[in-house]
Amino acid sequence: MAAQAAINKSASGRRRDYLPYMLALPIILYETIFILIPIVQQLVSSFTSDMFGISAVKWVGLANYDRMLSDKYFWNSMRVTLSFMGGTVIVAVGAGLIAALLMNQNFRGRSVARAIMTLPWAFPDLPTVLIFMWIFNPSFGVMNLFVRWILPIEQNPKWMMDINLALPLVIMIAAWKAFPFYGLVTLSVLQSIPSELYEAAKVDGATRLQSFRYVTLPEIIPTLMLMGVLACIFAFRQFALIFLFTGGGPARTTETLVVAVYKAAFNSFDFSYGATIGMAGFVAVFAITLLFAYLQRRQEAEAAS
Amino acid sequence: MTTLTTPVPARTLASPFHWVRRIPMYILVLLFCIATAFPVYWMTLSVFQPIEYSLTYPPPLFPQAISFDVFQEIFSGQDTAQRVDVWIFNSIILASMTTVICLGLSILGAFALSGKRWRGQGMFGLLLLMTQMLPEALIVIPLYATIDKLKMKDSLLTLALVDTAFVLPICIWILKNVFDTIPNEIRDAALVDGCNRMKMLWKIMLPISAPGLVAVGVVAFFHAWNEYLFAASLIGNRHLYTASVGLGSMISMIDTPIDKLMAGGLMFSIFPVIFYLMVQRYIVAGLSAGAVKG
Repeated sequence: MAAQAAINKSASGRRRDYLPYMLALPIILYETIFILIPIVQQLVSSFTSDMFGISAVKWVGLANYDRMLSDKYFWNSMRVTLSFMGGTVIVAVGAGLIAALLMNQNFRGRSVARAIMTLPWAFPDLPTVLIFMWIFNPSFGVMNLFVRWILPIEQNPKWMMDINLALPLVIMIAAWKAFPFYGLVTLSVLQSIPSELYEAAKVDGATRLQSFRYVTLPEIIPTLMLMGVLACIFAFRQFALIFLFTGGGPARTTETLVVAVYKAAFNSFDFSYGATIGMAGFVAVFAITLLFAYLQRRQEAEAAS
Repeated sequence: MTTLTTPVPARTLASPFHWVRRIPMYILVLLFCIATAFPVYWMTLSVFQPIEYSLTYPPPLFPQAISFDVFQEIFSGQDTAQRVDVWIFNSIILASMTTVICLGLSILGAFALSGKRWRGQGMFGLLLLMTQMLPEALIVIPLYATIDKLKMKDSLLTLALVDTAFVLPICIWILKNVFDTIPNEIRDAALVDGCNRMKMLWKIMLPISAPGLVAVGVVAFFHAWNEYLFAASLIGNRHLYTASVGLGSMISMIDTPIDKLMAGGLMFSIFPVIFYLMVQRYIVAGLSAGAVKG
């Protein structure tokens, strides 16, 4: 009884409970050292001219930002980032949705199909790049064979060397790798829809299309929106896949913002300018993350009510 | 009598031809499976067939001969800095260190998030979310500069510390979801029995959460295993190359034979594929953190 009373007191008493703060402190410190301080350094660096030891570091005020805003390659990288984000979100989330709807059906061999469709998600970026570089190799790639079965072309396409094909190819590869995740999440939501809803729709004489439109869709739309935002962020982060597959080329048609940051710093050794482009990236990520947090909170509130 | 005259449900009537309506679905499933499995099949094929078959056009779509010679090459070269087994060994060291650091910290974080709400919990969650969303490439410059100044480059431990910072948030979410499934009665019973809360975490919650801990370990391990950007910029010593940097260097060398490249890629992928498929449901629940609740 005494123990019970003590617990009640410590749980509901006025004394503040310090344990969560002690638990969270090491993590806050850790992320401060490895994430927050570098962000601040990045911000400071964007106001200086740091050529990585080549010349003395000078305070230059907003000069880097001036340069960035009139740099056509910066705006190019923004456009590429947006196209890449839009493309992967539509293809990956769309394919994920279709895959989830298929896997939600009953058919023989479903578990095998499901395992196969999960495969790309477990594949690391590097082997993914390797595989597709080989499949789309302009001389020996097997894709030349398939394309020439279908299209009447005389020569093999130049694939990732072609300025019109490079970005769609990178989008397709990123979507290949990402769609299983969106499929798995959507599937888990589909399976949580009570079957009574479908039975009720059937009793009311709904066709399959109508029951999709009026039962399934309303249930999964919040998740689809959340995943759309998540997919934007994942696409925004995507570095290794793009950098190794095309290096940002040809003619910068696949140079996303993160690739531009990396190239400014490690190819041109212009740390400050790279940092400046990076700050533009932060603003974008910050905005998208807040949108994600907002959508998530709204959905949790709806689920609770 | 009435039961006999009841009209037969339409579905049963149509059943002999019911499968016809499902043909489009089967075709779609087949298309999806081919699109996902073919690249993997193609990689495996080019590893196990003699290289001359890969280097013909048009390439044969099915195996014509089998050869294991390429494994001899990638596992026993003169130059140990170019051997896939050395790279994989380095990757295992790196990934193990990351796993240990990350497990320790994520247990604390998940426990903090899983109990009663406290002031500032929302801010803590937002900090984690921000870290999780942050593109690595955006802070690689300052991190590189600092680590260079401190002379901590070319160290697998440094790399493990950096990798942990990025994988920690998702590990905390996964583990929090696991902790949340433990009924309050179990926690309360332990507290009544005179455990303090840290002891309850250690003696009661962690043993129950063993599968979740495994999932977190797998995520942390293969985050470090797969990570390329920091590994490529922080590791310059060829003898410390992890498998991702090593494979990356192979890609940029024009004359690497294709079977060697593919064999390296296959070796690199086998472990993550096996382990991810084992723990996928935990990862999905954690990655979508809240997206699938309710």
